Amino acid sequence: MSILEYNGGSVVAMRGKKCVAIAGDLRLGNRNMTLATNFEKVFPINPKLYVGLPGLQTDVLTLKERFRFRTNMYKMKESRDISPLTFARLVASTLYERRWSPYFVEPVIAGLDETTNEPFIAATDLIGCLNFAKDFVVSGTASDKLFGVAEALWEPELESEDLFETISQTLLNAVDRDALSGWGAVVHVITADKIITRTLKARMD
Amino acid sequence: MARRYDSRTTIFSPEGRLYQIEYAMEAISHAGTVIGILAKDGVVLAAEKRVTSKLLDRAEASGEKIFTLNSNVVAGVAGITADANSLVNYARMAAQRHLFSFDEDIPVEQLAQKLCDLKQGYTQYGGLRPFGVSLLYAGHDPHHGFQLYHSDPSGNYSGWKATCIGANNGTAQSLLKQDYKDGMGLWEPAPKPAEGEPGAEGEPSKYGAVELAARVLSKTLDATTLDSEKVEFAIITLDRKTDLPKPRIFKPEEIDRLLAKYELGKPSDETPGTGTATPAAVAAGSQGERMDVS
Repeated sequence: MSILEYNGGSVVAMRGKKCVAIAGDLRLGNRNMTLATNFEKVFPINPKLYVGLPGLQTDVLTLKERFRFRTNMYKMKESRDISPLTFARLVASTLYERRWSPYFVEPVIAGLDETTNEPFIAATDLIGCLNFAKDFVVSGTASDKLFGVAEALWEPELESEDLFETISQTLLNAVDRDALSGWGAVVHVITADKIITRTLKARMD
Repeated sequence: MARRYDSRTTIFSPEGRLYQIEYAMEAISHAGTVIGILAKDGVVLAAEKRVTSKLLDRAEASGEKIFTLNSNVVAGVAGITADANSLVNYARMAAQRHLFSFDEDIPVEQLAQKLCDLKQGYTQYGGLRPFGVSLLYAGHDPHHGFQLYHSDPSGNYSGWKATCIGANNGTAQSLLKQDYKDGMGLWEPAPKPAEGEPGAEGEPSKYGAVELAARVLSKTLDATTLDSEKVEFAIITLDRKTDLPKPRIFKPEEIDRLLAKYELGKPSDETPGTGTATPAAVAAGSQGERMDVS
Protein backbone atom coordinates (compact mmCIF):
# COMPACT_ATOMS: atom_id res chain seq x y z
CA MET A 1 0.00 0.00 0.00
CA SER A 2 1.41 3.38 -0.97
CA ILE A 3 1.79 6.01 1.73
CA LEU A 4 -0.64 8.21 -0.20
CA GLU A 5 -3.36 5.62 0.48
CA TYR A 6 -2.60 5.11 4.17
CA ASN A 7 -5.32 7.41 5.53
CA GLY A 8 -7.65 7.37 2.51
CA GLY A 9 -9.80 10.23 1.26
CA SER A 10 -10.74 11.93 -1.99
CA VAL A 11 -11.55 15.39 -3.31
CA VAL A 12 -13.05 16.71 -6.56
CA ALA A 13 -13.56 20.24 -7.92
CA MET A 14 -15.56 21.40 -10.91
CA ARG A 15 -16.00 24.61 -12.86
CA GLY A 16 -19.43 25.93 -13.71
CA LYS A 17 -21.01 29.08 -15.08
CA LYS A 18 -19.67 31.91 -12.87
CA CYS A 19 -19.27 29.40 -10.05
CA VAL A 20 -17.03 26.61 -8.84
CA ALA A 21 -17.70 23.66 -6.57
CA ILE A 22 -15.32 21.61 -4.46
CA ALA A 23 -16.25 18.48 -2.56
CA GLY A 24 -14.49 15.95 -0.36
CA ASP A 25 -15.29 12.87 1.65
CA LEU A 26 -15.02 12.71 5.44
CA ARG A 27 -13.20 9.44 6.09
CA LEU A 28 -9.99 9.18 8.07
CA GLY A 29 -8.60 5.67 8.24
CA ASN A 30 -5.59 3.69 9.37
CA ARG A 31 -5.10 1.29 6.48
CA ASN A 32 -8.36 -0.65 6.38
CA MET A 33 -9.66 0.55 9.76
CA THR A 34 -11.83 3.65 9.81
CA LEU A 35 -10.85 6.04 12.59
CA ALA A 36 -13.06 9.08 11.99
CA THR A 37 -16.06 10.04 9.88
CA ASN A 38 -15.78 13.80 10.38
CA PHE A 39 -12.33 14.52 8.99
CA GLU A 40 -12.79 17.48 6.65
CA LYS A 41 -10.09 17.92 4.07
CA VAL A 42 -11.36 20.99 2.23
CA PHE A 43 -10.25 24.28 3.82
CA PRO A 44 -11.03 27.94 3.14
CA ILE A 45 -8.10 30.18 2.25
CA ASN A 46 -10.20 33.27 1.75
CA PRO A 47 -13.98 33.73 1.35
CA LYS A 48 -13.89 32.80 -2.36
CA LEU A 49 -11.00 30.32 -2.46
CA TYR A 50 -10.88 26.77 -1.11
CA VAL A 51 -8.22 24.08 -1.18
CA GLY A 52 -8.82 20.34 -0.89
CA LEU A 53 -5.98 18.27 0.60
CA PRO A 54 -6.41 14.51 0.30
CA GLY A 55 -3.55 12.23 1.36
CA LEU A 56 -1.50 11.49 4.45
CA GLN A 57 -3.33 13.10 7.38
CA THR A 58 -0.32 14.58 9.12
CA ASP A 59 0.74 16.29 5.90
CA VAL A 60 -2.84 17.43 5.25
CA LEU A 61 -2.89 19.28 8.57
CA THR A 62 0.66 20.59 8.26
CA LEU A 63 0.06 21.89 4.74
CA LYS A 64 -3.19 23.56 5.79
CA GLU A 65 -1.23 25.39 8.52
CA ARG A 66 1.68 26.25 6.19
CA PHE A 67 -0.73 27.73 3.64
CA ARG A 68 -2.43 29.71 6.40
CA PHE A 69 0.99 31.11 7.43
CA ARG A 70 1.92 32.13 3.91
CA THR A 71 -1.47 33.53 2.92
CA ASN A 72 -1.73 35.53 6.18
CA MET A 73 1.67 37.12 5.41
CA TYR A 74 0.56 37.74 1.83
CA LYS A 75 -2.63 39.43 2.96
CA MET A 76 -0.83 41.72 5.42
CA LYS A 77 1.84 42.74 2.93
CA GLU A 78 -0.41 43.18 -0.10
CA SER A 79 -3.51 44.47 1.75
CA ARG A 80 -5.64 42.17 -0.36
CA ASP A 81 -6.67 38.51 -0.63
CA ILE A 82 -4.48 36.18 -2.65
CA SER A 83 -5.91 35.35 -6.06
CA PRO A 84 -6.63 31.69 -6.95
CA LEU A 85 -3.94 31.56 -9.64
CA THR A 86 -1.27 33.02 -7.36
CA PHE A 87 -2.34 30.64 -4.60
CA ALA A 88 -2.05 27.66 -6.97
CA ARG A 89 1.52 28.70 -7.71
CA LEU A 90 2.17 29.10 -4.00
CA VAL A 91 0.91 25.52 -3.50
CA ALA A 92 3.19 24.27 -6.27
CA SER A 93 6.28 26.00 -4.92
CA THR A 94 5.55 24.92 -1.33
CA LEU A 95 5.36 21.31 -2.49
CA TYR A 96 8.45 21.51 -4.71
CA GLU A 97 10.48 22.85 -1.74
CA ARG A 98 10.22 19.28 -0.50
CA ARG A 99 11.02 17.70 -3.87
CA TRP A 100 13.25 15.01 -2.32
CA SER A 101 11.16 14.32 0.78
CA PRO A 102 7.67 15.26 -0.30
CA TYR A 103 4.40 15.98 1.46
CA PHE A 104 2.14 13.03 0.66
CA VAL A 105 -0.78 15.19 -0.42
CA GLU A 106 -2.11 15.96 -3.91
CA PRO A 107 -4.02 19.24 -3.52
CA VAL A 108 -7.04 20.51 -5.43
CA ILE A 109 -7.77 24.24 -5.64
CA ALA A 110 -11.08 25.94 -6.47
CA GLY A 111 -12.08 29.57 -6.29
CA LEU A 112 -13.27 32.75 -7.94
CA ASP A 113 -10.85 35.53 -8.84
CA GLU A 114 -11.30 38.24 -6.24
CA THR A 115 -11.89 41.08 -8.71
CA THR A 116 -13.28 39.50 -11.90
CA ASN A 117 -15.07 36.55 -10.20
CA GLU A 118 -13.74 34.37 -13.00
CA PRO A 119 -14.06 30.68 -11.95
CA PHE A 120 -10.76 28.89 -11.39
CA ILE A 121 -9.83 25.29 -10.65
CA ALA A 122 -6.44 23.58 -10.52
CA ALA A 123 -4.69 20.57 -9.04
CA THR A 124 -1.11 19.52 -8.42
CA ASP A 125 0.70 16.27 -7.81
CA LEU A 126 2.63 15.72 -4.60
CA ILE A 127 5.71 17.56 -5.86
CA GLY A 128 3.93 20.56 -7.33
CA CYS A 129 3.22 19.84 -10.97
CA LEU A 130 0.30 22.14 -11.77
CA ASN A 131 -2.72 21.12 -13.81
CA PHE A 132 -4.98 24.00 -14.89
CA ALA A 133 -8.02 22.07 -16.03
CA LYS A 134 -10.92 23.74 -17.76
CA ASP A 135 -13.54 21.25 -16.61
CA PHE A 136 -12.80 19.34 -13.40
CA VAL A 137 -9.94 18.10 -11.24
CA VAL A 138 -9.78 15.00 -9.02
CA SER A 139 -7.47 13.66 -6.35
CA GLY A 140 -7.23 10.98 -3.68
CA THR A 141 -7.69 7.23 -3.37
CA ALA A 142 -10.85 7.30 -5.53
CA SER A 143 -9.28 9.51 -8.22
CA ASP A 144 -9.61 6.93 -11.03
CA LYS A 145 -13.30 6.47 -10.24
CA LEU A 146 -13.77 10.24 -9.91
CA PHE A 147 -12.29 10.68 -13.38
CA GLY A 148 -14.76 8.17 -14.76
CA VAL A 149 -17.92 9.63 -13.25
CA ALA A 150 -16.89 13.26 -13.77
CA GLU A 151 -16.13 12.63 -17.42
CA ALA A 152 -19.57 11.15 -17.82
CA LEU A 153 -21.58 13.69 -15.85
CA TRP A 154 -19.80 17.03 -16.35
CA GLU A 155 -20.87 19.47 -18.99
CA PRO A 156 -19.83 23.08 -19.52
CA GLU A 157 -21.67 26.14 -18.19
CA LEU A 158 -23.66 24.47 -15.42
CA GLU A 159 -25.52 26.83 -13.08
CA SER A 160 -24.65 26.61 -9.39
CA GLU A 161 -27.61 24.42 -8.41
CA ASP A 162 -26.93 22.01 -11.29
CA LEU A 163 -23.21 22.05 -10.57
CA PHE A 164 -24.01 21.07 -7.00
CA GLU A 165 -26.02 18.06 -8.18
CA THR A 166 -23.33 17.04 -10.66
CA ILE A 167 -20.40 17.24 -8.26
CA SER A 168 -22.38 15.50 -5.52
CA GLN A 169 -23.27 12.54 -7.72
CA THR A 170 -19.69 12.40 -9.00
CA LEU A 171 -18.23 12.22 -5.50
CA LEU A 172 -20.82 9.90 -3.99
CA ASN A 173 -20.72 7.29 -6.73
CA ALA A 174 -16.95 7.37 -7.08
CA VAL A 175 -16.23 6.92 -3.37
CA ASP A 176 -18.80 4.13 -3.17
CA ARG A 177 -16.49 2.11 -5.40
CA ASP A 178 -13.45 2.87 -3.22
CA ALA A 179 -12.86 1.09 0.07
CA LEU A 180 -10.69 3.84 1.51
CA SER A 181 -12.95 6.84 0.78
CA GLY A 182 -16.45 7.71 1.83
CA TRP A 183 -18.18 7.70 5.25
CA GLY A 184 -19.78 11.07 4.53
CA ALA A 185 -19.21 13.99 2.18
CA VAL A 186 -19.17 17.82 2.24
CA VAL A 187 -19.73 20.05 -0.81
CA HIS A 188 -18.93 23.77 -1.11
CA VAL A 189 -20.43 25.75 -4.01
CA ILE A 190 -18.79 29.16 -4.47
CA THR A 191 -20.54 31.96 -6.32
CA ALA A 192 -19.80 35.68 -6.51
CA ASP A 193 -22.09 36.61 -3.63
CA LYS A 194 -22.09 33.55 -1.37
CA ILE A 195 -20.77 30.09 -0.56
CA ILE A 196 -23.20 27.28 0.19
CA THR A 197 -21.82 24.36 2.16
CA ARG A 198 -23.85 21.18 2.31
CA THR A 199 -23.22 17.84 4.01
CA LEU A 200 -24.40 14.93 1.85
CA LYS A 201 -26.23 11.87 3.01
CA ALA A 202 -23.81 9.14 1.97
CA ARG A 203 -23.37 5.43 2.36
CA MET A 204 -21.67 4.96 5.72
CA ASP A 205 -19.46 2.10 4.75
CA MET B 1 33.11 64.84 25.85
CA ALA B 2 30.87 61.86 25.09
CA ARG B 3 32.36 61.53 21.62
CA ARG B 4 34.75 58.76 22.55
CA TYR B 5 31.97 56.49 23.81
CA ASP B 6 29.23 56.90 21.30
CA SER B 7 30.54 55.22 18.16
CA ARG B 8 29.97 51.65 19.29
CA THR B 9 26.66 50.37 20.59
CA THR B 10 28.24 47.58 22.58
CA ILE B 11 30.18 49.68 25.06
CA PHE B 12 29.20 51.81 28.02
CA SER B 13 30.34 55.35 28.62
CA PRO B 14 32.09 56.14 31.91
CA GLU B 15 28.80 57.56 33.23
CA GLY B 16 27.17 54.20 32.52
CA ARG B 17 25.19 55.31 29.47
CA LEU B 18 24.69 53.70 26.07
CA TYR B 19 24.91 56.67 23.76
CA GLN B 20 23.81 54.93 20.58
CA ILE B 21 20.54 53.99 22.22
CA GLU B 22 20.03 57.56 23.36
CA TYR B 23 20.78 58.87 19.89
CA ALA B 24 18.28 56.39 18.49
CA MET B 25 15.63 57.78 20.84
CA GLU B 26 16.59 61.27 19.70
CA ALA B 27 15.79 60.22 16.11
CA ILE B 28 12.39 59.03 17.26
CA SER B 29 11.63 62.33 18.98
CA HIS B 30 11.59 63.93 15.53
CA ALA B 31 9.12 61.42 14.13
CA GLY B 32 5.35 61.67 13.80
CA THR B 33 3.40 61.23 17.01
CA VAL B 34 1.53 58.02 17.76
CA ILE B 35 -1.01 57.94 20.59
CA GLY B 36 -2.46 54.77 22.07
CA ILE B 37 -5.38 54.54 24.51
CA LEU B 38 -6.79 51.44 26.18
CA ALA B 39 -10.57 51.24 26.61
CA LYS B 40 -12.73 48.58 28.15
CA ASP B 41 -14.07 47.44 24.78
CA GLY B 42 -11.00 47.99 22.62
CA VAL B 43 -7.78 49.89 21.97
CA VAL B 44 -7.29 52.91 19.71
CA LEU B 45 -4.16 54.11 17.91
CA ALA B 46 -3.95 57.56 16.35
CA ALA B 47 -0.90 58.71 14.41
CA GLU B 48 0.40 61.78 12.62
CA LYS B 49 1.82 61.16 9.19
CA ARG B 50 5.05 63.01 8.47
CA VAL B 51 5.63 62.21 4.83
CA THR B 52 3.03 64.29 3.04
CA SER B 53 3.49 65.44 -0.50
CA LYS B 54 1.05 65.88 -3.36
CA LEU B 55 3.38 63.80 -5.51
CA LEU B 56 3.13 60.69 -3.33
CA ASP B 57 1.13 57.91 -4.94
CA ARG B 58 -1.01 57.11 -1.93
CA ALA B 59 -3.61 55.05 -3.74
CA GLU B 60 -1.68 51.78 -3.74
CA ALA B 61 0.46 52.45 -0.69
CA SER B 62 0.29 50.59 2.56
CA GLY B 63 0.18 52.54 5.80
CA GLU B 64 3.06 54.65 6.94
CA LYS B 65 2.51 54.60 10.72
CA ILE B 66 0.00 51.91 11.60
CA PHE B 67 0.25 48.26 10.56
CA THR B 68 -1.58 45.03 11.26
CA LEU B 69 0.86 42.59 12.83
CA ASN B 70 -1.65 39.76 13.19
CA SER B 71 -5.39 39.28 13.39
CA ASN B 72 -5.19 40.26 17.07
CA VAL B 73 -2.51 43.00 17.14
CA VAL B 74 -2.07 46.36 15.40
CA ALA B 75 1.04 48.46 15.85
CA GLY B 76 1.94 52.12 15.48
CA VAL B 77 5.56 52.98 14.69
CA ALA B 78 7.65 56.10 15.16
CA GLY B 79 11.20 56.59 13.94
CA ILE B 80 13.33 55.54 10.97
CA THR B 81 10.78 54.28 8.43
CA ALA B 82 13.04 51.61 6.94
CA ASP B 83 13.86 50.20 10.37
CA ALA B 84 10.16 50.23 11.22
CA ASN B 85 9.23 48.28 8.07
CA SER B 86 11.88 45.70 8.88
CA LEU B 87 10.60 45.29 12.44
CA VAL B 88 6.98 45.07 11.30
CA ASN B 89 7.90 42.27 8.91
CA TYR B 90 9.83 40.49 11.67
CA ALA B 91 6.84 40.80 14.01
CA ARG B 92 4.44 39.45 11.37
CA MET B 93 6.68 36.43 10.79
CA ALA B 94 7.03 35.85 14.54
CA ALA B 95 3.24 35.96 14.97
CA GLN B 96 2.73 33.50 12.10
CA ARG B 97 5.42 31.15 13.44
CA HIS B 98 3.60 31.09 16.77
CA LEU B 99 0.28 30.46 14.99
CA PHE B 100 1.89 27.62 13.03
CA SER B 101 3.34 25.97 16.13
CA PHE B 102 0.44 26.41 18.54
CA ASP B 103 -2.61 26.99 16.31
CA GLU B 104 -3.34 30.04 18.52
CA ASP B 105 -2.93 33.77 18.06
CA ILE B 106 0.25 34.96 19.74
CA PRO B 107 -0.44 36.66 23.08
CA VAL B 108 0.22 40.42 22.73
CA GLU B 109 2.91 40.58 25.39
CA GLN B 110 4.80 37.67 23.83
CA LEU B 111 4.89 39.46 20.49
CA ALA B 112 6.21 42.60 22.17
CA GLN B 113 8.81 40.49 23.95
CA LYS B 114 9.97 38.86 20.71
CA LEU B 115 10.59 42.26 19.13
CA CYS B 116 12.26 43.53 22.28
CA ASP B 117 14.57 40.50 22.40
CA LEU B 118 15.61 41.34 18.84
CA LYS B 119 16.14 45.02 19.65
CA GLN B 120 18.11 44.26 22.80
CA GLY B 121 20.43 41.97 20.87
CA TYR B 122 21.43 44.92 18.72
CA THR B 123 22.51 46.79 21.85
CA GLN B 124 24.81 44.08 23.08
CA TYR B 125 26.11 41.97 20.18
CA GLY B 126 27.32 42.39 16.66
CA GLY B 127 28.50 45.99 16.65
CA LEU B 128 25.49 47.02 14.57
CA ARG B 129 23.48 50.13 15.26
CA PRO B 130 20.17 49.78 17.10
CA PHE B 131 16.77 50.05 15.40
CA GLY B 132 15.67 53.67 15.52
CA VAL B 133 12.01 52.78 16.14
CA SER B 134 9.58 52.90 19.02
CA LEU B 135 6.40 50.90 18.69
CA LEU B 136 2.98 50.89 20.31
CA TYR B 137 1.31 47.48 20.24
CA ALA B 138 -2.49 47.44 20.57
CA GLY B 139 -4.00 44.00 20.81
CA HIS B 140 -6.22 41.43 22.43
CA ASP B 141 -5.75 37.90 23.69
CA PRO B 142 -7.99 35.60 25.74
CA HIS B 143 -5.54 35.60 28.65
CA HIS B 144 -5.38 39.30 29.48
CA GLY B 145 -8.03 40.95 27.31
CA PHE B 146 -7.20 44.26 25.61
CA GLN B 147 -3.65 45.49 26.10
CA LEU B 148 -1.38 48.36 25.05
CA TYR B 149 2.42 48.06 25.11
CA HIS B 150 5.25 50.42 24.25
CA SER B 151 8.77 49.35 23.24
CA ASP B 152 11.84 51.46 22.50
CA PRO B 153 15.29 50.96 20.87
CA SER B 154 16.83 49.73 24.10
CA GLY B 155 14.59 46.66 23.97
CA ASN B 156 12.61 47.69 27.01
CA TYR B 157 8.82 47.46 27.00
CA SER B 158 5.97 48.26 29.37
CA GLY B 159 2.19 48.04 29.46
CA TRP B 160 0.14 51.22 29.44
CA LYS B 161 -3.43 52.48 29.77
CA ALA B 162 -2.59 55.44 27.57
CA THR B 163 0.71 56.56 26.13
CA CYS B 164 2.39 58.32 23.27
CA ILE B 165 5.59 58.14 21.21
CA GLY B 166 7.27 60.43 18.68
CA ALA B 167 7.32 64.20 18.55
CA ASN B 168 5.67 66.20 21.34
CA ASN B 169 5.11 63.04 23.30
CA GLY B 170 5.66 64.81 26.61
CA THR B 171 2.81 67.19 25.83
CA ALA B 172 0.53 64.42 24.72
CA GLN B 173 1.41 62.28 27.72
CA SER B 174 0.42 65.01 30.18
CA LEU B 175 -2.81 65.69 28.31
CA LEU B 176 -3.59 61.99 28.47
CA LYS B 177 -2.81 61.95 32.17
CA GLN B 178 -5.38 64.66 32.78
CA ASP B 179 -8.17 63.32 30.62
CA TYR B 180 -7.80 59.52 30.78
CA LYS B 181 -10.42 57.89 32.98
CA ASP B 182 -10.52 54.20 33.85
CA GLY B 183 -13.49 52.41 32.40
CA MET B 184 -13.81 54.60 29.32
CA GLY B 185 -15.19 52.90 26.25
CA LEU B 186 -13.96 53.41 22.70
CA TRP B 187 -17.04 55.42 21.81
CA GLU B 188 -18.56 56.36 25.19
CA PRO B 189 -16.99 58.17 28.15
CA ALA B 190 -16.32 56.39 31.41
CA PRO B 191 -19.38 56.12 33.64
CA LYS B 192 -19.38 58.54 36.53
CA PRO B 193 -18.26 56.64 39.64
CA ALA B 194 -20.75 56.43 42.51
CA GLU B 195 -20.45 58.75 45.53
CA GLY B 196 -17.57 57.73 47.75
CA GLU B 197 -15.77 55.81 44.99
CA PRO B 198 -12.30 56.98 43.98
CA GLY B 199 -12.50 59.57 41.22
CA ALA B 200 -16.03 60.66 42.11
CA GLU B 201 -14.82 64.11 43.13
CA GLY B 202 -12.99 64.88 39.89
CA GLU B 203 -14.44 66.03 36.58
CA PRO B 204 -16.58 63.36 34.95
CA SER B 205 -14.94 62.16 31.76
CA LYS B 206 -16.34 63.70 28.61
CA TYR B 207 -14.75 61.61 25.90
CA GLY B 208 -14.56 58.06 24.67
CA ALA B 209 -11.10 56.79 23.84
CA VAL B 210 -11.32 57.44 20.10
CA GLU B 211 -12.44 61.02 20.59
CA LEU B 212 -9.80 61.57 23.28
CA ALA B 213 -7.09 60.27 20.95
CA ALA B 214 -8.27 62.55 18.17
CA ARG B 215 -8.37 65.59 20.45
CA VAL B 216 -4.97 64.97 21.99
CA LEU B 217 -3.51 64.39 18.52
CA SER B 218 -4.93 67.64 17.23
CA LYS B 219 -3.33 69.52 20.13
CA THR B 220 0.10 68.01 19.62
CA LEU B 221 0.18 68.14 15.85
CA ASP B 222 2.54 70.48 14.09
CA ALA B 223 -0.23 71.38 11.66
CA THR B 224 -3.23 73.52 12.49
CA THR B 225 -5.95 71.20 11.23
CA LEU B 226 -6.50 67.48 11.07
CA ASP B 227 -7.47 65.72 7.88
CA SER B 228 -7.28 62.21 6.55
CA GLU B 229 -4.09 62.98 4.62
CA LYS B 230 -2.19 63.79 7.80
CA VAL B 231 -3.46 61.19 10.27
CA GLU B 232 -3.94 57.46 10.53
CA PHE B 233 -6.42 55.82 12.89
CA ALA B 234 -6.91 52.23 13.93
CA ILE B 235 -8.93 50.38 16.52
CA ILE B 236 -8.99 46.80 17.69
CA THR B 237 -12.21 45.39 19.14
CA LEU B 238 -13.93 42.06 19.60
CA ASP B 239 -16.39 41.06 16.92
CA ARG B 240 -19.77 40.86 18.64
CA LYS B 241 -20.87 37.70 16.87
CA THR B 242 -17.71 35.60 16.64
CA ASP B 243 -15.93 36.90 19.77
CA LEU B 244 -12.72 37.07 17.74
CA PRO B 245 -10.43 40.11 17.77
CA LYS B 246 -11.14 42.52 14.94
CA PRO B 247 -8.44 44.98 13.88
CA ARG B 248 -9.60 47.91 11.78
CA ILE B 249 -7.37 50.48 10.12
CA PHE B 250 -9.63 53.39 9.12
CA LYS B 251 -9.85 54.35 5.48
CA PRO B 252 -9.37 58.04 4.58
CA GLU B 253 -13.13 58.61 4.13
CA GLU B 254 -13.80 57.09 7.55
CA ILE B 255 -11.19 59.36 9.13
CA ASP B 256 -12.76 62.42 7.51
CA ARG B 257 -16.17 61.44 8.86
CA LEU B 258 -14.72 60.88 12.32
CA LEU B 259 -12.95 64.24 12.34
CA ALA B 260 -16.09 65.97 11.11
CA LYS B 261 -18.10 64.35 13.91
CA TYR B 262 -15.69 65.66 16.52
CA GLU B 263 -15.40 68.99 14.71
CA LEU B 264 -11.65 68.68 14.44
CA GLY B 265 -11.36 68.77 10.68
CA LYS B 266 -12.44 72.35 9.99
CA PRO B 267 -9.63 74.86 9.56
CA SER B 268 -9.74 76.90 12.75
CA ASP B 269 -8.15 80.11 13.97
CA GLU B 270 -5.60 79.24 16.59
CA THR B 271 -7.50 80.03 19.80
CA PRO B 272 -5.23 80.67 22.75
CA GLY B 273 -5.05 77.78 25.14
CA THR B 274 -5.99 74.98 22.78
CA GLY B 275 -2.48 74.43 21.51
CA THR B 276 0.26 73.71 23.99
CA ALA B 277 2.98 73.43 21.34
CA THR B 278 4.93 76.67 21.31
CA PRO B 279 6.22 78.05 18.01
CA ALA B 280 9.75 77.15 19.10
CA ALA B 281 8.81 73.55 19.76
CA VAL B 282 7.00 73.37 16.43
CA ALA B 283 10.06 74.64 14.56
CA ALA B 284 12.36 72.24 16.35
CA GLY B 285 10.09 69.27 15.65
CA SER B 286 9.35 70.02 12.00
CA GLN B 287 11.14 67.81 9.53
CA GLY B 288 10.29 69.51 6.28
CA GLU B 289 10.54 67.06 3.42
CA ARG B 290 12.59 64.30 5.15
CA MET B 291 11.40 61.00 3.76
CA ASP B 292 13.40 58.63 5.95
CA VAL B 293 11.86 59.50 9.28
CA SER B 294 8.11 59.27 9.82
